[in-house]
Amino acid sequence: MTDYILIQALNGLVIGIIYAVIAAGLTVIFSILRIVNFAHGEVYMMGGYFAYFAISLLGIPPMAGVVFAMAASFALSVLIERTLLTPLYSPTTERKGDYGILVTFGISIFLRNIALIVFGPYPLRPPSFLTGALILGPLIMTWDRVFDAGAAIAMLVFLLWFMHRTAWGEALNAVSQSRESAAIVGINDQLFYMLAFGLGGALAGGAGALVGPIYSLSPSMGLIPDTQAFAIVILGGMGSVMGSILAGLMIGVSESMFVALFPDPSRSLTYAQAFSLLVLMVVLLVRPTGFFGRIHTALD
Amino acid sequence: MRAVQIVLCAALGVLVLAFPGLVNAYWLSVAILAIFYAIVTASWALLVGYAGQFSFGHMAFVSLGAYTSGLLVKWFDIPIPLGMLAGVVLCAIVGSGVGFVGLRMRGPYLALFTVAFSEVLRIIFVSEVEITGGSGGLEVAPLFHTRSDAPYYYVGLVLLAGSLAAMVALVSSRWGLFFRAIRENEAAAAAAGVKVVRFRVLAFAIASSFAGLAGGFYGHFLGILTPDIGSVDQMGLVVAMAVIGGAESLPAAVIGALALEALVEALRSYGEWRLVVFGALLLLTIRFARNGLLALAWEQLARVVPVVPAPRKTA
Repeated sequence: MTDYILIQALNGLVIGIIYAVIAAGLTVIFSILRIVNFAHGEVYMMGGYFAYFAISLLGIPPMAGVVFAMAASFALSVLIERTLLTPLYSPTTERKGDYGILVTFGISIFLRNIALIVFGPYPLRPPSFLTGALILGPLIMTWDRVFDAGAAIAMLVFLLWFMHRTAWGEALNAVSQSRESAAIVGINDQLFYMLAFGLGGALAGGAGALVGPIYSLSPSMGLIPDTQAFAIVILGGMGSVMGSILAGLMIGVSESMFVALFPDPSRSLTYAQAFSLLVLMVVLLVRPTGFFGRIHTALD
Repeated sequence: MRAVQIVLCAALGVLVLAFPGLVNAYWLSVAILAIFYAIVTASWALLVGYAGQFSFGHMAFVSLGAYTSGLLVKWFDIPIPLGMLAGVVLCAIVGSGVGFVGLRMRGPYLALFTVAFSEVLRIIFVSEVEITGGSGGLEVAPLFHTRSDAPYYYVGLVLLAGSLAAMVALVSSRWGLFFRAIRENEAAAAAAGVKVVRFRVLAFAIASSFAGLAGGFYGHFLGILTPDIGSVDQMGLVVAMAVIGGAESLPAAVIGALALEALVEALRSYGEWRLVVFGALLLLTIRFARNGLLALAWEQLARVVPVVPAPRKTA
């Protein structure tokens, strides 16, 4: 029993790191564009399918498929941003918050249903990154999960490096603190809205490509991770990448503990989905600014 | 001019009343579903368009009303109208609860909270198979045992007319003014003496009650309920109806619902493409005609036909 719980905890850690990648994408988008992106889970879903088709149609090796999925998700996000989100920056748009909610909600409905037609309702499973399992005494973990954890950590380290150690990251931070001041010092804000939305989408798409071999792909796979990512972002504080990583690990582990310890196994899986939703509701109620929220990213 | 308007209205009224005699059973049931969506869409427009509280949990209240009535009638054998009333009351109570806890949240946070609420409720309906029948569905007693669906049509018509009249009366009263004041600027409304807490909760409770009423009617008409009625995609359909018609005007939202439900059925042979078409239409409407297609069409019509009065600013 303790072995089982340990293995569940390890699995939860891996899933938590992947959640953190999704949530970090969400928080990058939020801190620059000031919108809560309801279509984030659908970009994650698209990323999974991009990887699948890159592997099965183009013959790209599975690991390179993740990079391909990130590039394709980046392109998809930039396309969405340029065609549908530009009114967010226009001074003539009334109630931008409402516009952001409605338009991203519309995008999520559109993407999910077009995926249903193009990819079909049946789950697809891309090939493993690495076959076999890592066995350490009583602990067993498939190499896929080990690879996922490593790749997700690499993505997060890259993101932190990019945000804090490069001029582009500094410019993103500047736009997130004040659009006007950033424009005064010569930062082309349009470029950085595009970059932020694309970067957020690339992270979601990369995460989708990583979970493919573990959970299979389906058009509705984005619904639950989307709310989990929201819970993580709000728990970790809107706009804080570090906060998202910590909260992602917390949610991943507590969720798999919930599944392992839920008294009625026939219901534990369906109620596991409700678990993250309940976490989200409680966090919204108790501490809407999260643990690591920055004042200037608070939403009014 | 006025005479022309009266004649047009009278002709429309006769057409609506004689509708069951003019169409086959299939289109009659489509009309009944359209009436259901019209009530739901109008009450969502009341909550979002007028009171400015973004809720994606409206279909959850529809399912709550429907399941409450269906289960009470099934297990306790109470009369159906009483069951529907119980659904409405429960939706009003839960709606005020959600509205109350939602007081702390603004815009997107409230939207997130209501999405989560709606999914949790759906998961409960799916999981508690012994009580709700799970995804397999719950059999619900029909309201009428007639061969034709015409009685449902007239009951639905009465419910729609009653709900719409109540909502229009509400939004044109002082309360409606309070709702819009809160939507535009909560702090300013509070400073002007509007009881913000009371009216935000009230808006939620009222809109949820109408959703529950529509849900009860829906359940007892179809005879079977599945948790899918509270899904995010169903919510998307209602959002599309309201936004394409015009979420800031109750009649526009109703017309949007009726038109889209007719379109749903006309596109039936295209199956899954329908939600894609509506998603695309929704995106185009939000992007290029935020007040809805109806306001846009009305403007064009008023320019060409002098009989049509110029559009009134509702927002």
